[in-house]
Amino acid sequence: MSSTTLERGAQTHPDIPSYGKVNVDILRILSRPGKIWWLLFGLAVAGVGLLGYSWANQLISGIGLSGLNTPVSWGVYITSFVFWVGIAHSGTLISAILFLFRAKWRQSIYRAAEAMTVFAVMTAGLFPIIHLGRAWHAYWLFPYPNERLLWPNFRSPLVWDVFAVTTYFTVSSLFFLLGLIPDVAAARDQAERGSLRHRVYQLISFGWRGTDRQWHHFGKAYLYLAALATPLVLSVHSVVSWDFAMSIVPGWHATIFAPYFVAGAIFSGIAMVITLMVPIRKAFGLEAYLTTKHFDAMAKLCLVTGLIVSYAYINEFFMAWYSGEDPERQAFWNRLFGDYWWATWTMLTCNIMIPVLLWFKRVRHSIAALFVISIFVNIGMWFERFVIIVTSLSHEYMPFAWGNYRPSTTEMGIMVGSFAWFGMWFLLFVRLLPPVAIAEIKEVLPAPLRPRAGAEAAR
Amino acid sequence: MSEGIKRRDFLRVAGVTGAGAGLVGCSTEQVEKLIPYVTAPEEITPGVATWYSTVCGECSSGCGVWVKTREGRAIKLEGNPNHPISGGALCARGQSALQGLYDPDRLTSPMLRGADGHEPIPWEEAESLLLAGVRDAAPSVALVSRQAGPTLARLEAELMAGTGGQRIEYDAASEAPLREAARIVFGSNAIPTFDFPSAGIVFSFGADFLGSWISPVEHTRGFARASAAEEGGGKSPFVFIGPRLSLTGQNADEWVPVAPGAEALVALAIANVIAREGGDAGSYADLLQAYGPETVSAQVGLPVETIEDLAARFVADGPGLAVGPGIAAQGANATAANVAVLLLNAVGGAVGQTLRPGDGHLSAAASPAAGLAGVIDSMAGGEIQALILHNVNPAYTLPPGFGFSQALASVPFSVAITDRLDETAVQADLVLPDRHFLESWGDSNPRPGLWALQQPAMQPVPHFDSRAGGDILLGLAAGLGQDTGAADYQEYLRSAWSDVHAGLASEEPFETFWRGALRDGVVELPAEEVAAGELQAPDRAMSFDAPELEGDGLALIVYPSDRFGDGRSANRPWLQELADPVSKIAWHSWIEIHPETAAELGVSSGDVARVTSPNGEVEVPVWAYPGIRRDAAALAMGGGHTSFGRYADGRGANPMTLLPPALEQTSGGLVHLATRVTIEPTGEHRGLATIEGASDQRHRPIAPAVELEALLGGEIHEEEHAELYELQAVGGFVPVEAEEGIPEAYPLEGARYGEYDPEAAPRWAMAIDLDKCTGCSACITACQSENNVATVGEDQVRMGRDLAWIRLERFYETVDADIPGPVDIRFLPMLCQHCGNAPCEPVCPVYAAYHTPDGLNAQVYNRCVGTRYCANNCPYKVRVFNWFNFSEVPEPLNWQYNPDVTVRSGGVMEKCSFCVQRIRQAENRATLEGRSVEDGDVVPACQQGCPAQAIEFGNIRDPESRVAQLSASDRTYRVLDVLINTQPAVNYLRKVTLHAVEDIHV
Repeated sequence: MSSTTLERGAQTHPDIPSYGKVNVDILRILSRPGKIWWLLFGLAVAGVGLLGYSWANQLISGIGLSGLNTPVSWGVYITSFVFWVGIAHSGTLISAILFLFRAKWRQSIYRAAEAMTVFAVMTAGLFPIIHLGRAWHAYWLFPYPNERLLWPNFRSPLVWDVFAVTTYFTVSSLFFLLGLIPDVAAARDQAERGSLRHRVYQLISFGWRGTDRQWHHFGKAYLYLAALATPLVLSVHSVVSWDFAMSIVPGWHATIFAPYFVAGAIFSGIAMVITLMVPIRKAFGLEAYLTTKHFDAMAKLCLVTGLIVSYAYINEFFMAWYSGEDPERQAFWNRLFGDYWWATWTMLTCNIMIPVLLWFKRVRHSIAALFVISIFVNIGMWFERFVIIVTSLSHEYMPFAWGNYRPSTTEMGIMVGSFAWFGMWFLLFVRLLPPVAIAEIKEVLPAPLRPRAGAEAAR
Repeated sequence: MSEGIKRRDFLRVAGVTGAGAGLVGCSTEQVEKLIPYVTAPEEITPGVATWYSTVCGECSSGCGVWVKTREGRAIKLEGNPNHPISGGALCARGQSALQGLYDPDRLTSPMLRGADGHEPIPWEEAESLLLAGVRDAAPSVALVSRQAGPTLARLEAELMAGTGGQRIEYDAASEAPLREAARIVFGSNAIPTFDFPSAGIVFSFGADFLGSWISPVEHTRGFARASAAEEGGGKSPFVFIGPRLSLTGQNADEWVPVAPGAEALVALAIANVIAREGGDAGSYADLLQAYGPETVSAQVGLPVETIEDLAARFVADGPGLAVGPGIAAQGANATAANVAVLLLNAVGGAVGQTLRPGDGHLSAAASPAAGLAGVIDSMAGGEIQALILHNVNPAYTLPPGFGFSQALASVPFSVAITDRLDETAVQADLVLPDRHFLESWGDSNPRPGLWALQQPAMQPVPHFDSRAGGDILLGLAAGLGQDTGAADYQEYLRSAWSDVHAGLASEEPFETFWRGALRDGVVELPAEEVAAGELQAPDRAMSFDAPELEGDGLALIVYPSDRFGDGRSANRPWLQELADPVSKIAWHSWIEIHPETAAELGVSSGDVARVTSPNGEVEVPVWAYPGIRRDAAALAMGGGHTSFGRYADGRGANPMTLLPPALEQTSGGLVHLATRVTIEPTGEHRGLATIEGASDQRHRPIAPAVELEALLGGEIHEEEHAELYELQAVGGFVPVEAEEGIPEAYPLEGARYGEYDPEAAPRWAMAIDLDKCTGCSACITACQSENNVATVGEDQVRMGRDLAWIRLERFYETVDADIPGPVDIRFLPMLCQHCGNAPCEPVCPVYAAYHTPDGLNAQVYNRCVGTRYCANNCPYKVRVFNWFNFSEVPEPLNWQYNPDVTVRSGGVMEKCSFCVQRIRQAENRATLEGRSVEDGDVVPACQQGCPAQAIEFGNIRDPESRVAQLSASDRTYRVLDVLINTQPAVNYLRKVTLHAVEDIHV
């Protein structure tokens, strides 16, 4: 087994000459940032300012600053919530499930993917609060003890959501922080003693010294946590999908929703990993760590989940027709040819048609092509949620109460601001924590054995 | 209420006696004070409502109302069940009277016009100016008043007689042609009354008798009785003959779309056929000869068979009743058209049966505009030195071509007695703030022998330093040295009522009579011998031909708004926000044109169009309406105010600016149907502030109907009936006996819903008879008033954020504007269905939506965090959300709020509560009286206000309750229940049609 692993590692990272080079290459990223980073960070902070301003406005004036209305009372906020929860998926998938399956191409990307997961959940978690009519009472959704003996309604999928998302956030953060320990220790050792950076690294590396004993415990803990995180990958988005599937809204009430949403989440999450990894690879010269093989594997995962999503779309349309009920049929007819046809066709183009290109090896091996496709998939998956939410709500059972919705500037400001919020954390992450797993990369590199005497001669 | 006053009703209004006595002798100085709680008047108990009987002053119908006051503030108006006109119901305009009372734009003090507009002055100065102005001008004085109560009219007439001036009545929407026609045909100078309940078949030649014509509440009640299918009984057909389906037309069974102005010819042709078949046309026989169906058919483009068929049925289904043509069709031949319709009644045998000429509607506005036109001429000619305008607004309601404003400017001294600086008052020298009818004394005499007192229901709203018009005029009379025999108007009224007392010829002393009249709100004198209404010989030549309209393009139909009348109630957020019963548009005007006409003109709904007549132009959004002929366009009165208040100004367009200054020759009435208009797109798209999504129910189980024959033949599925009956018997909670596995089988027996105990608690339920519902929307405003439902404004309505708890859905099933035939427009008042298996409840994360132990679907506002999931999951879409803090309204509009109902803040969901405060009140009262709640104790506001009496409410678990009995009908169904098993508590009874309808499985 080990020899195979070594060979595979040699295949995926043929250009890394030594263990030492890994430390040098990765820890170099944690140096003083350049102008471009500062520019991006400035933009991100400005975007967060936009988010804060828009939200503050909305808190003061009322949720009416959104474009929501009586048939369509969920819109861009819930769309963005589901989108970000979906993004949060692939991190844990890559770090936990692929870890358990011993997929060796995960090592280079999982750290960034996990960070993305944590930040995406932090972003997603904002939206259910932002969208409330009385956001200051959001804590009423938590089962906290109180003298009035008031508890949340455990039958409500929104309460399940609270549990699903907070659990997912807790576990993925722990998993992220645990995996960081050996690498942060390496960063600590390199940092100037007594500096703030050194002290922080010291704190979160929990006195890691790299002893056998520590490695042993670390390995066990990591394995168990991976096993614990694995079901969450499936559960979180299943629960999110039940926000819709548990209702009786035509277009929402479907049994396929849980697997459909999980596949969609992985699809969008992998696409987001590609979107993030391509610039990191370029900016920090990590070509040796993130090879076309990695991108090829991610593209294949994207293709598979994209096909599942395509199947789910077709299945939904078929079931709507097969149900024979006018409300169902009308909901789906309205998707394709109603007032929001443009959103649906954007979704279908981005999520079904464009990923077809991934069947071609040449496309999978072109980093530029993958980057472009991944952005289309991200757009498509945002629109998927928009289509599901808005088109279904706009044409429900009572035709006289049909109505359309147009997002307001406040909603768009908060939506754009959420990307900035995510980006701000991610930019901080790449400069403050090792964005590629140093220790795990070393696991798949060929061991630095002394060359055998005969080897030279044989040549 | 035929059994007379109920005991509890008696107790409710009994407080009036004391209050009446308490107010006797109140001088204006005393009534300025608020009620002190320390030494509260005996009749006021904090927390307990006091009710006063009075008369609604919104239109000239003269409905008796009860005013609910709490702690001295009027908070709700309800129809007085003892009053024969209102019959206990009240229309949306009547409900909105409170917003007239608390209108923040009312005048706060007398105003004198100076160089920079009007300046406030004290009352003493105002009254001395008034006195000096009139004294100096006498006898060149004129007083213009709208149709007023008999005593006020008498005072005005006496005052003017004393000065040598003249008193003129003017109303923008006036039935002058009908009165003149009644004089010509029956020799009776009164508007006849129409007995809809007795009619076997009803023809309306354009009259909107359910919406705005003469006495809509009374007509609606009567019409609903006549045209609603009785169990196993008949149904009076209703044929609407006219160019545009008004609210009334939408309730018709058949529509004969004739060109505007052609109604007279059709009526004559029908009368001709009846006369030919043996009807007695009396001295009109010769006249009718000229209007044979063949002749008329060619003129109006109707098949001869249609005319003959209508004639045959008018007699065969009789007694028939033909009404019309109403205000909208008042063309240059208006009197002739009215004569034609009255003649049809006479020939068809309706007179004395369904139409009573002698028993006239005395209070109907019927003064000809010619009177005012004469005054305008005198004003312009300098013959009038002082002009008193009492509650009239001709600067707005009269076509500008009459030159009222210019003439007013030439009058040296003009006084407006009104409640606001309206378009007329703003041009007057002196403006005296009048009181609202809920703050002042008055009376009404809507028909011979029927009298009612209008008494103040509360002390004057302290924000406005007002005086009653009667007191102002009395003061003026006293100043002029006239002896009116009364120090104030109340005394004047009392002395006038001694005549009524004398007419009663009873033994009881006047004081007892007076108190009784105040308490009951109505006095009925012994019936006089009513003249049968013999046909008189025509005393003048008339042309019945369709009038020539000036200009070219589409014929413009100008009709009184169902919500604003002639525009006088435009400054009320409730009415502005109320979706128009026909168009479902709120807050702005629209021009109605046929969809295909719109396509030809290159405009679609929501496009702003320029509407041009030879007299002016307005810009107004288009609304494509299949219920209007292709050659006509319609614009409602009441929009386009320029100086009327913050809620009215700049909203919509005033159609009167498009009309010529034309008077009908015979009656002197204003010509409404006078011009054609061209409509061209402006290129601007504004979008309609409408509540209408789609007007097609897409064969879903929403508003099915049943053909009368099928109903009588028992063709409604038997098993369906049984199933519904089972559900009602147990309150809609426990399932019917059904195969397991089908949706109806859930919830399974024994499944519990909250703490609800199906055995012990009542199951509050409602039944709505869609065959009675006319879509008038009174329920919506009643609900708004009772439940503190906020208004949101035009932009928010356009976004779909209106808060009304009842959405009156309107579906076009069969509408054809080209050929005569059946018309089927369905109404469905959609409110919270209080589902037994409510989809909104399980999804609320915080239990803000939950099931009460007595089966109500409650919404706990304080607990709501605003996830809006419940609204998404409500299939009926009856949950509305407070997107902003809509409840903050300017003082004193907030005085109207019902203290028994929470005022909702921003960010919370709300919906119909089944008037839970009334349920609890009834339960508390029953507990205090040591009994259980009886059927009829709980009357929600919508049921109370419904003029058609289409709504019943009660405990459906009690098989004797009216709601249970009504729900046991074959026609009962529940919206969407078959689709999603919500087990609603609202049972709808299908509309009954006279033509075959699509069978929708419900």
